[in-house]
Amino acid sequence: MEALFYVSAVVAVIATLRAVTGKNAVHALLYLVVSLLAAALVFYSLGAPFIAALEVIIYAGAIMVLFIFVVMMLNLGPGAERQEKSLLDPRAWAGPALLAFALVAELLYSFSGGGGTAEANAQYINPKAVALTLFGPYFIGVELASLLLLAGLVAAWHLGRREKEATHDSPG
Amino acid sequence: MSPSELSALLPILITAAAASALTAAAGFYSKHGFVAGFTMAAFALSFASIFIAAPAAPIAVSSLLVVDGFALFFMGLIYAAAFAVALLSYGYNGGAGGKHTEYYILLLLSALGAAVLAGSRHFASFFLGLEILSVSLFGLAAYMRSPKGNEAGLKYLVLAGASSAFLVFGMALVYAATGSMEFSAASALATRGGGPLSLAGMALIVAGAGFKLAVVPFHGWTPDVYEGAPAPVGAFIASVSKGAVVAVLMRLMGGSLASGGPLFTFLAAVAVASMFAGNLLALFQENVKRVLAYSSIAHLGYLLVAFLASGSFAAGAVAFYLAAYFVSIIGAFGVVTVLSVNGSDVDSLESYRGLAWRRPLIGAVFTAMLLSLAGIPLTAGFVGKFYLVAAGAASSMWILVLSLALSSVIGFYYYLRIILVLFSPSPRELPAEAEVHPAGSAALMALFAVLVFMGVYPGPFLSLVGAAASGLWQ
Repeated sequence: MEALFYVSAVVAVIATLRAVTGKNAVHALLYLVVSLLAAALVFYSLGAPFIAALEVIIYAGAIMVLFIFVVMMLNLGPGAERQEKSLLDPRAWAGPALLAFALVAELLYSFSGGGGTAEANAQYINPKAVALTLFGPYFIGVELASLLLLAGLVAAWHLGRREKEATHDSPG
Repeated sequence: MSPSELSALLPILITAAAASALTAAAGFYSKHGFVAGFTMAAFALSFASIFIAAPAAPIAVSSLLVVDGFALFFMGLIYAAAFAVALLSYGYNGGAGGKHTEYYILLLLSALGAAVLAGSRHFASFFLGLEILSVSLFGLAAYMRSPKGNEAGLKYLVLAGASSAFLVFGMALVYAATGSMEFSAASALATRGGGPLSLAGMALIVAGAGFKLAVVPFHGWTPDVYEGAPAPVGAFIASVSKGAVVAVLMRLMGGSLASGGPLFTFLAAVAVASMFAGNLLALFQENVKRVLAYSSIAHLGYLLVAFLASGSFAAGAVAFYLAAYFVSIIGAFGVVTVLSVNGSDVDSLESYRGLAWRRPLIGAVFTAMLLSLAGIPLTAGFVGKFYLVAAGAASSMWILVLSLALSSVIGFYYYLRIILVLFSPSPRELPAEAEVHPAGSAALMALFAVLVFMGVYPGPFLSLVGAAASGLWQ
């Protein structure tokens, strides 16, 4: 299991570096998705499969896919077709695909029983334990997080709204 | 939750309920008078509920929050400041005709985040409180959606995000060193000397918090954000957001800073740099809001002197100085607020020429606020600065005390320069000036009264501060 941790951690670091240094937004986002998947595997190797699943569903699944769609749709225009052709260039997807393949291989290896059991000091944390902690000692934290979302929502709604009579209207 | 926990948490609960209720009501009824009145009532009620919470204190509410005298003192300060800002905002946002529901929701939420910070005793509540505060504040900074406002909001968003990243990484390192997310574990380890891991973690936390405090290596954003944000929001960022972070830092590390340790040395260097850089950079600014921004950098430098002098006397000095600074800086931004209408702030120094003759009352209030920021006797700022010097001298931190005195002298120049402009003859062609809204004048008069009261007769306030500070590190 320790090897699993280190391999996914290295994948996460490489993918994040590529995401930060990438010049093309779509390519950078592909690397970011791989980075999040690698982070999910890190959680999995530490004995937290529930958090790993949430990481995949929420970050890699919902948020990042939305990001990629938005970025791709924003680029609509005369050059869009040429640009989409360039997205199919192997140089664009080979890197993320290779890293993702490494993660899949790791996952298959651990499912087939390789890598032994979890470390002695890493215990398995199931969804029930997560829920009991969140809504037990940390319920104030959950409430505060909901108010944080409210703040984000109100701010985004105000700043993103198109005002009819606005004098200083600007896209944002 | 037991009844005593519930009553101890009442100030926070009322603000949270008010923010949610206002959001729900916004869809049906958004008259400006109602929304602003509701917000001010919520702040007043939260402030009043501190007296209900006081008998229950000190009490730990779950592992995240603690409500003790220190937390309640800061909550009182935060709610009073938020009330003043809301009152100033009413006229600024166009009086009865305005329509700014989101502004007040964000104001409520940012005060809530600040109150959570004041009562934090756990990294999770520290982070959540700070994020509620920052997310609301970037919404408020860009609220007018003018090009400058957008720039201010964007800068604040990016830098708040970067500083949060530092903060979270620091928390992770401290957690790796201690195995606990509670402040008590971190400061216990620091008292024992800590290790490289916890030292690095604490340094990253200080860097993250330093962005919020706008102390010198982390101050680059301050003038642009203060200039671009609406004036009352500038007052809020300069006062409440800094005060809350000071409160949480005091609880986290105030008691465990070993004199001469690496963190102590770093913070002392930050303090000296902030005092001198803030005051020197303010000298040649032609924009009143930018002058106030640089002045606030210098003031946080002064504050660090007492922060570094540990002990309950120094904690009292920090609390008193913050209160005095809150009154003066909100008053100074308040003057800019009442002269402006939303979207176009009157902030160039030239437009204040002769203000004291045209509007004697506002000129007098502005003069008093500037004198207090400079630390002239008979104002709150003087008593606060005196208290800081006493705390620094008691711990024999002579370099810091000397820099405080020297940089204050530099500071006189630009405060007196503004006062000189206020009292010089009016120009021929008067700039168009907004009608001063009575709500704004009322807020200014109240701040002025508090300023003079704290400066002339600080006794009651000093005993309040002493009581609040005595229970901090027990």
